[in-house]
Amino acid sequence: MSLQSLIMNLQKYWADQGCYLAPSYDLEVGAGTMTPDTFFRVLDKRAWKVAYVQPSRRPTDGRYGKNPHRVQKHHQFQVIVKPSPADIQQLYINSLTSLGIDLKDHDLRFDEDDWESPTIGAWGVGWQVMLDGLEITQFTYFQQAGGLEVFPIPVEITYGLERLEMFLEEKDNIYDLKWSEDVSYRDLRYEEERQFSEFNFNQATVRSLREIFNQAEREAGRLIEKDLILPAYDQCLKCSHAFNLLDSRGAISVTERVKMIAQIRALVNQVALRFTGAGGAS
Amino acid sequence: MEFLLEINVEEMPSSHVRTAVEDLRDGFEKELVAAKLPVSSLRAYSTCRRLVVVADLAEGQEAREQIVTGPPKAVAFAADGAPTAAALGFARSRGIDVARLEIITTEKGEYVGFRRIEKGRDAAEILARIVPQVIGSLSFPKMMRWGEGQLRFSRPIRNILCLLGGRIVPFVIDGLASSDTTTGHKIRSPQKIAVTSFEQYRAALKEHLVTVDAEERKTALLAQIENLLAPLKAQLYPDPELLNKLANDVECPLVIMGVFPEPYLDLPLEILSTAMREGQKLFSVVRGKKQIPCFLGVADMPADTRGFIQKGNERVLKARLEDARFFWEQDLKLGLKKRALALKHVLFQEKLGSYDDKTQRLKKIAAYLCGKLEECKDAADAVTAAEYCKADLVTDMVREFPSLQGKVGGLYGRVEGLPAAVSQAIYEHYQPVGLDDESPSSLDGAVLSIADKLDSIIGVVGVGVQTTGSSDPFGLRRNAQGICKIILDRKLNFSFPRLLDKVLAVYGDKLKRPKAEILDYGREFFLNRLRYIYERRGYRYDLINAALGAGLDNISHSFLRVKALDALKASPQFEPFILMSKRVNNILTGQPACSLNADLFVEKAERNLYSTFSIVRENVVPMIAKGDFTQAQKMVFRLQPGLNEFFDHVMVMDKDNQLRRNRLALLQAIRRILIQMADYSQVVVEGEPSAVKK
Repeated sequence: MSLQSLIMNLQKYWADQGCYLAPSYDLEVGAGTMTPDTFFRVLDKRAWKVAYVQPSRRPTDGRYGKNPHRVQKHHQFQVIVKPSPADIQQLYINSLTSLGIDLKDHDLRFDEDDWESPTIGAWGVGWQVMLDGLEITQFTYFQQAGGLEVFPIPVEITYGLERLEMFLEEKDNIYDLKWSEDVSYRDLRYEEERQFSEFNFNQATVRSLREIFNQAEREAGRLIEKDLILPAYDQCLKCSHAFNLLDSRGAISVTERVKMIAQIRALVNQVALRFTGAGGAS
Repeated sequence: MEFLLEINVEEMPSSHVRTAVEDLRDGFEKELVAAKLPVSSLRAYSTCRRLVVVADLAEGQEAREQIVTGPPKAVAFAADGAPTAAALGFARSRGIDVARLEIITTEKGEYVGFRRIEKGRDAAEILARIVPQVIGSLSFPKMMRWGEGQLRFSRPIRNILCLLGGRIVPFVIDGLASSDTTTGHKIRSPQKIAVTSFEQYRAALKEHLVTVDAEERKTALLAQIENLLAPLKAQLYPDPELLNKLANDVECPLVIMGVFPEPYLDLPLEILSTAMREGQKLFSVVRGKKQIPCFLGVADMPADTRGFIQKGNERVLKARLEDARFFWEQDLKLGLKKRALALKHVLFQEKLGSYDDKTQRLKKIAAYLCGKLEECKDAADAVTAAEYCKADLVTDMVREFPSLQGKVGGLYGRVEGLPAAVSQAIYEHYQPVGLDDESPSSLDGAVLSIADKLDSIIGVVGVGVQTTGSSDPFGLRRNAQGICKIILDRKLNFSFPRLLDKVLAVYGDKLKRPKAEILDYGREFFLNRLRYIYERRGYRYDLINAALGAGLDNISHSFLRVKALDALKASPQFEPFILMSKRVNNILTGQPACSLNADLFVEKAERNLYSTFSIVRENVVPMIAKGDFTQAQKMVFRLQPGLNEFFDHVMVMDKDNQLRRNRLALLQAIRRILIQMADYSQVVVEGEPSAVKK
C-alpha cells in the first residue's frame, strides 16, 4: 500500500460513515484540530461529521531530513464526529481492518493520553492508540475548545499518516515510504525537510517574525470588534505559526512563551465567545 | 441471592481503576447498610474496561412490626369501656376490626392503636434505586462527558450488566438501560455474552479471553516473565508501578520478549530503561545490574503467533534508542561546565531569577549546611556539585526525558571525569521524589537535595505564592516532605531555624514578603508535613501534637520526642504525669513571668519540690541536648511525688504577693523544662472531660 491509497481508503471509509470530506486548510497549522472545520464545528450544538487530510507543521521537529522519524511537516488524517456515537471505538477499529490490518496478529491498545492545546484553549480526554508499540492515532473526546465547554461532545480521531504507513509498509525510515507506486516520500519531501529545517532553525528572521506576530495579533483584535470572526481566527493561526517559528529559532524565553501563549488564547477565546454568542451561524 | 454488577467502560487509566473499584464496593456497602438490606461476601474485580461487584444479598429487607396510633384513650373509650364513635371511626378508616385495638403508651400519654407487620421491600427494588446512585457518585481526578449525556465519569460507560439471582435489575442511567449481557475481549471476541451468574460470567469471559481478576492477571504476567527470563539467567529491572499499570491495562495478559542491537548497550541503564518505559511501556532486562540487549513487553492478546507484535515493538524501540544515542552524543560534545553557563537564560521563577541565580544560592546554602553537620568533613564536593547540578536542564536528553533530570547530570559528570562524589551528589539531588522514594545515598547528595528543596520553598513562599488545598503548583509539599525524610533517614542534627535564616539571608532583598511572615509560614508548613509523616508512620495524633508543640528547633529531635512519648505512653507514671502537667499549665495560665528566690520558700512541700526539681533539671538538661528524650522523660517523672505533695499542702495563690509569685516562679521553671520535651497539654488522657483539638 502507498500513502495515497491509505488516504483514499480512509476517505472512503469515513465518507461511508457519513463524513463530509473537507479539503485541507490553506494556512500553516500545527495540527488538524486547529483548522476551522474542527475548531468552529465543535463549538456549536449541531451534529457534524467531517474527515480531511491536514499537513501539520511543527518547526522544532525538523531534523534536516536526517532523522528517520522526525519531520517538521507531517500529515494527519483528521476525523470529527459529533455527537460521539456509542460504537465509535468499534468504528475506529473497523477503519483499521478496512486497511487490511489483521488485528488478530497485532496488539492494539488504547493507552491513557489526555490531549490539551493551551494555545486554542482546548482539552479532551482519551488515548494514544498503540499498534504493536507504535503510536498511530490520537483519540480524544473534546471537553473544551476556545476556553468554552463544548456540548454535545465531539470525538476527534487523528491518524498519523506517516506513522501508519510505516507500519503498513514495515519501513524503518520515513523517506523510504511510497507516496504512490512511483513516487517516494524522499522524492517529495526530503529536500523540503532539509531546506525548511535550515529556515526554521537558522534563517527565519526573528525581527520580522515578531512583527508578523504583533501584526496578526492586532488584526485579530480589530476583526473581532467588527464581528468578522472567521478572518479573525485566521489571524490567530498566523500568530500561532509565527510563535512556533520563533520558538524553533530559540528566540523565546520561558516567561515570554507563557505570555505569548496567553495572548493567542485570549484572542481565540474572544473568537469562540462571539461565535457561540451568534448562535453558531456561519 | 447473588448480585452481579459490571460497569463496562472504554479503557480507563489504571490509576482510576484502582480507586474506582474500591469506591464502588465501599459506596455500595454503605448504601446497602443504609437500606437495611443484609449483604455478605462483597467482592470487587476490575480490568481497564470493567468494574465488577459481586455479593450475596438477602431477598429483601426483614419484616418489621409497625405501631399505628389513633385517638387518645380518653376519647376512644367511654367510661364503661365501650369504644366510642372516635375508636370505631379509626378502626374503620384503617380497615381493621375494632377488637384489634389496644392501648399504646407513648411519651405524650395513652392512645389507642394497633400493631401490624410491615413487609420489607424487595432487594431488586432497593437495588434499582441505589445502583444508579452509587455509579453516579463515583468521582475521578479528571472527569468527562460523552455523546449527548449528562453523566460525568472517567471514560464513557457503554454497558451496565446488573443481575440479581440471574434476573435483570431494571434501571436507566443517563439513557443507558441495565442489561443481562457483557462482551468478550475487545479485539478478539467482541460479541455479546448472555450472563446468568458470576461463576458463569467469569468462565464465559475466560473463554472469550478476559481474565477479570487483577491479581490473577498479575500472577500470570509474573509467571510468564519468569519463564522467559529464567533460561537467560536474567531479571526484570524492577518497576512495580509499570507492572501494576500493565496488569490493569490488559484483559488477556501476554508477555513478549524482543531484542535490540547491541551497540545501544553503550548507553547507561537509566537511559535505556527510561526510553523503554516511556512511550512503549516496556521493561528493561538486566543480568546482575547490567542491561542485556533484550526487553519485555506486555500485549493484550492470547499469543503472538506470527511474531508481529515482537517485531513491531523492536522496530519502534530501535528508533527511540537511536534518538537517545543521538542526544547522548550531542550532549557530551558540549559538557556540563559549558552547559551550566547557559543557565543564565533559563528561568527558575519569574521573581526569583534564573537557574544560574539558583545555582549561586545553592553553593552558599550547601557550604553553610556542611559546616553545621558533624559528619561532614569538607564542603568542597557538595559545593562543586551545586555548581553543576542544574546544567542538565539544558541538555537534549532531559528535554526528551524530563524524569531523568539530575540522573543525566550525574551520568555526564561521570563520563566527563568529575570527582565521583560530585557526580553522585548531582545524580541523586532530586531524591527522594516522594515519601516512598529513597533518600540520597551520599551525604553530599543529601546536603544538596535539602539545599535545593529549601531554596525552592523559601523562594516561592517569599514571593507570595500560597499553597492551599489541592493547589501546589511548585510541589512545595513534596519538597518539604523530601527534606524531612532525608533528615530523619540520616538522623541529621542541626538547627532548622538557623538554616531557614541562612536561606533567607542568601536570597537577600529578592523576597518581597516580610521575613517574619515567611518564617512563620515556613515553620507552620514544615510542622504540617512532619505531622503527616508521623501519622503515616502510625503514631498517635495527640502524641505527635505534643512532640511538635515543643517546637521545631531540630527536626531529628522532633521525631525522637514522638518516639519517647510513644515508648512511655503505656507506663503507669505516664497518665498521672500528663494530668499533673496540665494542672501546672492551668494554674499558670495568664500569670506574668515571676522570678524565683529559694530563700522565700516557707512550706516543707515547696522546699522539697524545689530541691527535687534542681536535681532533675541538672540531669535532664544534657539529656535534652543529646536528644535522649526517653531518659529525660523518665527523669521528669520523678517530679510527680513532689508535685503531688506541693499541690496538697501549698496554697499557690496565697494572699501574700511575694509568696504567691515565688510559688508561681517555681512552677514556671518546671514548665520551662517540660516544654523542651513536649507540650503535654496536647496529650489526650482517656476519660478526661476537656476536649482536645486535633
